[in-house]
Amino acid sequence: MIDAHAMLGDETYLRLDADELLRRMDAAGVDLAVARPMGAGMVVDHRAGNDLVLKAGPRIRGLATVNPWWGPKALDELARCRDLGAVGLFLDPARQGFFPTEPVATPVLARAAEYGWPVMMKTGAYVYADILALAEVARDFPGTTFVAGFGGFADQWFELPMAMRNAPNLMLDASMMWGAGIQQIVDRHGAGRVLFGSAEPRNRYAVVLKAIERRGLDESSRRAVLHDNAARVFKLEGGRP
Amino acid sequence: MRIIDFHAHLDERWLHKPIPDASHMVAAMDRLGVAQTCVYTMMGFYAETPRNNDLLLERSQRHPDRLIPFVTVDPKEGPAAVDELERCLERPEFRGIKFHPWLQAFAPSMLEETMVAILKVAARTDTPVLFHDGTPPYSTTFQIADLARWVPEAKVFLGHAGLADYVDPAARLLRDVPNLYGCYCGSRPGDLVHLIETAGADKITFGSDFDPGSWELLAERLDNTIEAGLSPEDLEAVLWRNAERTLRPSSR
Repeated sequence: MIDAHAMLGDETYLRLDADELLRRMDAAGVDLAVARPMGAGMVVDHRAGNDLVLKAGPRIRGLATVNPWWGPKALDELARCRDLGAVGLFLDPARQGFFPTEPVATPVLARAAEYGWPVMMKTGAYVYADILALAEVARDFPGTTFVAGFGGFADQWFELPMAMRNAPNLMLDASMMWGAGIQQIVDRHGAGRVLFGSAEPRNRYAVVLKAIERRGLDESSRRAVLHDNAARVFKLEGGRP
Repeated sequence: MRIIDFHAHLDERWLHKPIPDASHMVAAMDRLGVAQTCVYTMMGFYAETPRNNDLLLERSQRHPDRLIPFVTVDPKEGPAAVDELERCLERPEFRGIKFHPWLQAFAPSMLEETMVAILKVAARTDTPVLFHDGTPPYSTTFQIADLARWVPEAKVFLGHAGLADYVDPAARLLRDVPNLYGCYCGSRPGDLVHLIETAGADKITFGSDFDPGSWELLAERLDNTIEAGLSPEDLEAVLWRNAERTLRPSSR
């Protein structure tokens, strides 16, 4: 299994380091995790945050983050992260303070597209993290995969099905989504649009995996959600379910 | 361990979507070991509130030992809303009050006079008042916590204890406002640990938000609670003891 969304670092009341994430992965039978920084490492201290996820070892692969307001320095940091093996870009418009559609974000998104990276953005808080704003930029970069981090949790969940209909390159990170919401996306858009994620340390592997198992997906859909989609989107090897 | 679900919905439909009857809710509770569930309307948040209060009472009384109805009123009606609350609370079966300001289209501060009157009735009758929280523009966690300060004698619940983006403010407000309580309903195990570490286990009550058509949601919300790794004492407080202590005393 591949976890498409774990978090490393220290943010307000959440903290997780690589050793503890690996312990939780082993306990849950998860082979690989894609992690992104949280807290100061995500909002302002990108070099430290990116190093944390990019140097966590072979079973943890990193999403690089930069604050788009850094301008050219943000692009330099993305180049450094590419050299360190980043598998995608993570942005948090609410914490980092920009609309996804705002021109300040465009160079960062264009650079991710140039690198062939998927782009995950945390969605769900209103204003900056509006899931429909993510769908807008997904339409602007049709060759890039965008992932709705947290799937609009909590009160933008009802926007997700139509947003995904209107942006075929938009996928759901199921890490904070309830089972019926996951099922709705599978039914309407296919299992190929859903990524299993843990949101560790906020959520727990056991919670997400049991929610997925209760849906009774057929084997190919289950495999797509738990492994194949992430392997394709993040260009990962291994992580058999 | 005994479980009381403090936050669920019982109605015949939500918007255009039919909802199965109460027997399905009780079957889900049996399946997952839930002893009692507090039930709220869905359609009564939009229209015909008195009629929906009566319907909720009727539906819940098919399983009187298992389902505990909460009344809602439309505070935009002013004194008529207070009258409707008094009418419903004459029935001992109603053991709580529920508001969903986002769906009911009001900010409490727009209706201060009526909300104060409602909270005073709640305080006089020892009835908890639960508000949806975590959603702008009418149901932010700060809005609900502010309202709790208006009538310190009333027991006011954050219906989702911060939900997605307000968990840390919720934890601090639950700690700082004596008559503010939290229903852990929808947020995640890491959030629950923080809520309890900050505000204390006595301030947090389990809720699922499930309806008779979604037993899986009840299972998921129980997983959310169990996987937080609480001490047995804290888990017991969250799963039932706080709810039992806080509900309007039953005449049964």
